[in-house]
Amino acid sequence: MLSHLVIGQLYYGDSLFYIVCFLILMWLVKLMAWKPITKMMQDRSDKISNDIDSAEQSRTEAAKLAKQRQAELDKSHDDASNIISEARSNGQKEHDNIVSQAQEDANRVKVNAQKDIEQERKDALANAKDDVADLSIEIASKIIQKELSANDQKALIDSYIEGLGK
Amino acid sequence: MDGQVSTFQFLGMTFNTANIVSGLVVFVILVAIMFLCSRHISMKPGKGQNFLEWLIDFTNGILKGSLPNNEVNAFGLYAFVLFAFLFVSNTLGLFIQVSMHGVTLVRSPTSDPIVTLTFSLTTMMIAQFAGVRKLGYKRHFENYLHPFKIWIVMNVFEQFTDFLTLGLRIFGVVFSGEMLLKVIYTDLAAKGGAWLIAAVPLEVIWQGFSVFLGAIQAFVFVTLSTVYIAKGLGEE
Repeated sequence: MLSHLVIGQLYYGDSLFYIVCFLILMWLVKLMAWKPITKMMQDRSDKISNDIDSAEQSRTEAAKLAKQRQAELDKSHDDASNIISEARSNGQKEHDNIVSQAQEDANRVKVNAQKDIEQERKDALANAKDDVADLSIEIASKIIQKELSANDQKALIDSYIEGLGK
Repeated sequence: MDGQVSTFQFLGMTFNTANIVSGLVVFVILVAIMFLCSRHISMKPGKGQNFLEWLIDFTNGILKGSLPNNEVNAFGLYAFVLFAFLFVSNTLGLFIQVSMHGVTLVRSPTSDPIVTLTFSLTTMMIAQFAGVRKLGYKRHFENYLHPFKIWIVMNVFEQFTDFLTLGLRIFGVVFSGEMLLKVIYTDLAAKGGAWLIAAVPLEVIWQGFSVFLGAIQAFVFVTLSTVYIAKGLGEE
């Protein structure tokens, strides 16, 4: 069985054959399978690590954008409420102005009207006084003609005037 | 094995026909597998590519166990082809055994010690060359003088025993496996009748177990090769 292991009968040829076979096999495997597959494995691991990196990058970018958008939203919200409150205060001021103006106008008109009425009344009274005096004199002269003394005449006029003043 | 082996002379060297034919069969099988599995290599691997990548990862994993990372690439191809070759060699004889006129033609190549010792010698040579390449002649051979000068006897002897055990371990397992298959087939089945029926499941069970053993032995061979190479590199 193991007779061929005895030195001298060892088949060196087989050894040589297997070594040559193995070398050719190694060369063929390297050419066909080893090189392209290890290259692909390397490429894949590179790609995966790249993908992980870029995913991380885009994640942080997205977070940054979201924060920025939130800040802008807050800012526009503030702006809007500012505008509204400003408009409200403007309107209030305008309203107050108009009301006070109107009040003033009304007061002035009222004062003018009262003054006019007073003047009118005074004028009318003065006119009436003159008219009464004239009328009295006329009446007096007519009565005098019916022998009326000067004292009676004066007393008569005064009593008339007193009656008018009341 | 049991049958006669024919030999022929070529260029003044003696060749064993069974070894040559079996070796060629293994060679052709491996080339076919590698060729078929490495078509259409892409980023998303197909079945064949997945299989080869798994195998490459497996042998690279063996290497990473004992070699530093920067050396793994240098021996990756050797470990890969060695594992594939040994595994196919170990299992070939379990399924195909061809004899012609009583002369064995095809069987497991690794059931002949000359084949396993050839690979074992290759590994030892690679370990030596790797050591010289990395450390230079002087420092590499100085390692034989450690820890004492007299230790050179032990170290040289160790190289020799490493060479023998590495080759003969795989030979023993594969040879005995094939032997038992043949015994079951020739002695048990030849009795005929109930023996033949009993022989079939036995044969199947032993074949399955031998495939397992063949894989284990190929794995062990590659692992030990890596350890010896690491030792040659001065990586204890």
